[in-house]
Amino acid sequence: MQSNSIYKIPNGKLLKVKIEHNDNKIKSIKITGDFFIYPEEAIDKIEKELIDIKLERIIVFEKLNEIVNNDNIEFIGLNIDGLTDGIMMCLK
Amino acid sequence: MTEEWRFLKTGAKSATYNMALDRAVLDACSIKRVPPTVRFYEWMPSAISIGYFQSLSEEVNLEKCREMDIDCVRRITGGGAVFHEKELTYSIVIQEEHPEMPKNIMKSYGRICGAVMKGLKNVGINSEYKPINDIISNNRKISGNAQTRKKQIVLQHGTVLMDVDVEKMFDVLRVPDEKIRDKMISSVKERVTSINHILGNHISFDELSDAMKKGFEEEFDIKLIDGKISAFEKGLTSKYEFECFGNRDWNHKR
Repeated sequence: MQSNSIYKIPNGKLLKVKIEHNDNKIKSIKITGDFFIYPEEAIDKIEKELIDIKLERIIVFEKLNEIVNNDNIEFIGLNIDGLTDGIMMCLK
Repeated sequence: MTEEWRFLKTGAKSATYNMALDRAVLDACSIKRVPPTVRFYEWMPSAISIGYFQSLSEEVNLEKCREMDIDCVRRITGGGAVFHEKELTYSIVIQEEHPEMPKNIMKSYGRICGAVMKGLKNVGINSEYKPINDIISNNRKISGNAQTRKKQIVLQHGTVLMDVDVEKMFDVLRVPDEKIRDKMISSVKERVTSINHILGNHISFDELSDAMKKGFEEEFDIKLIDGKISAFEKGLTSKYEFECFGNRDWNHKR
């Protein structure tokens, strides 16, 4: 099933998420918007590592937290909470 | 002795060339073949650049762009879609470890925007930095900026609006909901300003360029020396035009 969300991060930028999900798991995800991520290429890894992750807030949040901390990724105009919210909003 | 940086004024060029040259200067600076560089440029034809993380087809009406002869390109920097027309675009390329460049990304935005603000002051316009990446005058946006860091180099580019045609901008940019297009146009008109609007008269690109150049010199306490694009950078620019910014896969990658 395909779903998408558009979410203005509080005090941040506009986030658009498109996911394809099945059995409550992410099968593919595209994260776009006018935020900043350093380094930029980290977005590919984030999208790849979210595949097969269960669509439950705490699980998505912890996965993002792990990727961001392990790879020293810096978000500007975006944050882990906001990105998690954007992903979970696809289910509404 | 005052430190000397290179100054490039490269005129009005295509979107692919402009983005390729910024990237080439970044590469050349990273291997110390060129000093820190400030470049001023324009866009011919007018163009839309989108942020690295945006989707070209979602942000831009590509059919309209073709009809109106407007270039489209994906930047290597994040941020939003920008319609480039009647503006001065700057780029600055400098080592991350340069003493004038804060390690903290937000602080470095503030510092570089400080140069733009001093430039605006030199044409009689007061402005302030509005984080994350805007400069505002009388609470209206007059400049947008975007930064990347690669190969231990900071590249920031940004615009200084000389004039603005919001209707034309919305002809080529997509809006999330067509029903609110008119409302969005009015709202952007209220939130954006330009040098001509504030001063009430037209200032030439060269006048603004001189004022901005002085702004960068004042902010960083340096001397900008007119320079040339090196043969190395010319070669890289052609390569990046072909392989990256002029390439459909790059521009449609998200």
